Amino acid sequence: MVTGHGRIEHIVRVWLPVAFFLVLALFPFYWMAITSIKPNAELYNKNVMPLIVRAPTLKHYVDLLTKSSFLLWTWNTMLVAAVATAISLVLGVMLAYPLARMRFAGAGLIAMTVAAIYLVPQPLLFIPLADVINRLGLGNTLTSVILTYPTMLVPFCAWLLLGYFKTVPKELEEAARIDGASRLQTMRQVFLPLCTPGFISAGIFAFTLSQNEFLYALIFLTKTTVRTVPVGVISELIRGDVFYWGQLMAGALLGSIPVALIYSFFVEHYVAGLTTGSVKG
Amino acid sequence: MAKPASSTATSRRKFLKYAAAGATAAISRPWPARADQKTITILHESSFIKPFDEYVTNTLAPAYEKETGIKVVYEVTSVGSLPTRISTIAETGSGADIAMNALLQIIQFGEKYLDVGDLAEEIGKAQGGWYDAGREAVQVNGQWKAIPFSNIGQLMNWRTDWFAEVGVKKFPDTWEELYEVGKKLKAKDHPFGFELGHGFGDNHGWLYPLLWSYGGAEVAADGKTVVIDSDETARAVDFCRKFFKDTMLDDVLGWTDVSNNKAWMAEQISCTNNAESILWFAKREFPEIGKVTDQAMNPAGPKGRFHLLNSISHSIFSFSPVREEARTFMHWLMQPKQLGGWYAVADSYYQPLLHGYDNAPMWNVEPRNIPYRDALANAHLPGWPAPASRQLAESVAKYIVVDMFAKACAGASTKDVIRNADAQLKEIYRSA
Repeated sequence: MVTGHGRIEHIVRVWLPVAFFLVLALFPFYWMAITSIKPNAELYNKNVMPLIVRAPTLKHYVDLLTKSSFLLWTWNTMLVAAVATAISLVLGVMLAYPLARMRFAGAGLIAMTVAAIYLVPQPLLFIPLADVINRLGLGNTLTSVILTYPTMLVPFCAWLLLGYFKTVPKELEEAARIDGASRLQTMRQVFLPLCTPGFISAGIFAFTLSQNEFLYALIFLTKTTVRTVPVGVISELIRGDVFYWGQLMAGALLGSIPVALIYSFFVEHYVAGLTTGSVKG
Repeated sequence: MAKPASSTATSRRKFLKYAAAGATAAISRPWPARADQKTITILHESSFIKPFDEYVTNTLAPAYEKETGIKVVYEVTSVGSLPTRISTIAETGSGADIAMNALLQIIQFGEKYLDVGDLAEEIGKAQGGWYDAGREAVQVNGQWKAIPFSNIGQLMNWRTDWFAEVGVKKFPDTWEELYEVGKKLKAKDHPFGFELGHGFGDNHGWLYPLLWSYGGAEVAADGKTVVIDSDETARAVDFCRKFFKDTMLDDVLGWTDVSNNKAWMAEQISCTNNAESILWFAKREFPEIGKVTDQAMNPAGPKGRFHLLNSISHSIFSFSPVREEARTFMHWLMQPKQLGGWYAVADSYYQPLLHGYDNAPMWNVEPRNIPYRDALANAHLPGWPAPASRQLAESVAKYIVVDMFAKACAGASTKDVIRNADAQLKEIYRSA
């Protein structure tokens, strides 16, 4: 039974911090949401309380969806993020598995190099990459970003998966090898299925990074029809020193929904430790 | 039965060989050949006046293609992204064939642009001659590195109704007169709002003209001698400090270009320095505010009246495979039929730098925009009277003059801010 004193302590120790972080996490979404449904007259009115909406309108959403290519940008973004993430996960596994499981000369150096490559800032790479993309004749195609995003995603996925792979007990693989499985069979049928939470984590982060990427998309995708959401909204909803705040916020909110859905859908797998107890029994 | 080890090894080796050969071939492949139909690509900022962009894609480009068979692609990007895009094209030697220059980009990328002096002179001769500001905007080391297109002028935007409340019907003629009006308006809760932060235009838009109007300058006409440390500069700084303290909102120190537009629509400020975007947006979205918004030339100081030259121009990349076609296109574009139509859809937001348009019908649409045309007579690039140079671009990029004024407004002494600006400028101009 929780006493009055205990209830207060519970509120202070649990619910107050939870509420604080909840407000911190959700306030930007709330701000985006209310800005996107405020008419301009209210948006610019300094005399009204900014946290509430008096006369909500869907005008900004209608304008965004009918007067810009937002739906096309969204499709481009999803396609690019999904394919780049898939490529990066496959290559990331191929890089992380030997580093985590095999002993060979230079493994430590390669692992460090992977981390170092991930730390190379994009502004140093975009001009050489632009040169390569132009030479390959891939400018203004989604392939250009699908191929360049893995340059930052593969080291990221590999580094994340490397850590995860090391937590999987070696005994499981050894048992499979004793039972006659080849290394490839062990990897495909025993090891990788156990790493699903790691793939989900790396996949979600890689997808989010791809979806939000700005610089490469700005440089390689210059036609409206091939733009992604971050570049599309900046290029076409910021005009000179006039910002179309309502449409910008509507675009930002709609653009964040897919990732929010993916996060919520996979959150259980993401959190659950599938390897827990796997060596028992 | 498993394959012999040697067979697998050979297969791997072959695979690696083919992969390496393929990758090398792909990377070292020559520039992709263009299709039979020639294409000219123009990189432009996305104009805040949408019909301006649409006029190119819906009218000019199809007309040119019909006439010549050459396709014109009009790529737009935000003004903030423009330098990144031009840098990439300039460094990789591939991308758009023609680029729009804003601010001082002509200096930064001039080496990569064609000299189009003959074309510019011919266009000028046929259309009443160029404004001096037009030449100043695009000439680098005596060469025309672009065809001037327009100025996006900065003027005083003022609320006629609130000025009338303190008995002012006509915009003050001098900075001191404006200061006196500003004090009264601030007392009535209608402060001024002039950008003192790190935006891209509205800060330089009034601070350089203020400096010049008191007789100050960054560098002498030789483009080498730093002359910021002067009594004239000190008087401009002293004026700016009291102007800020007694007439403005405090948060202008952190403003960027979007801030005064927003404050205007929120009816927070009664006077600011901005391009035509405030009036244009107010007329469409806030008609009541639009009715009481007017524009005026910058006030005069003891040494005269000045405006900032914030030009737009078009350059042809020297490495473009269709540079000759691009020159022909620019010649076509700058003819009155095309150019006049393009200017007309933009409500005089883009002010022509050719005298042939001084009395064009575009000026009759909104008489409140006429001061933009008149301001061209005394509009200059930031480093004036020095010619445009890389050092000037660096000084502007580092906000040296803006920060000199802003720090004084924030409380630093006049002597300190000028000494600091002087030291920074001398460091920059040491290489001149």
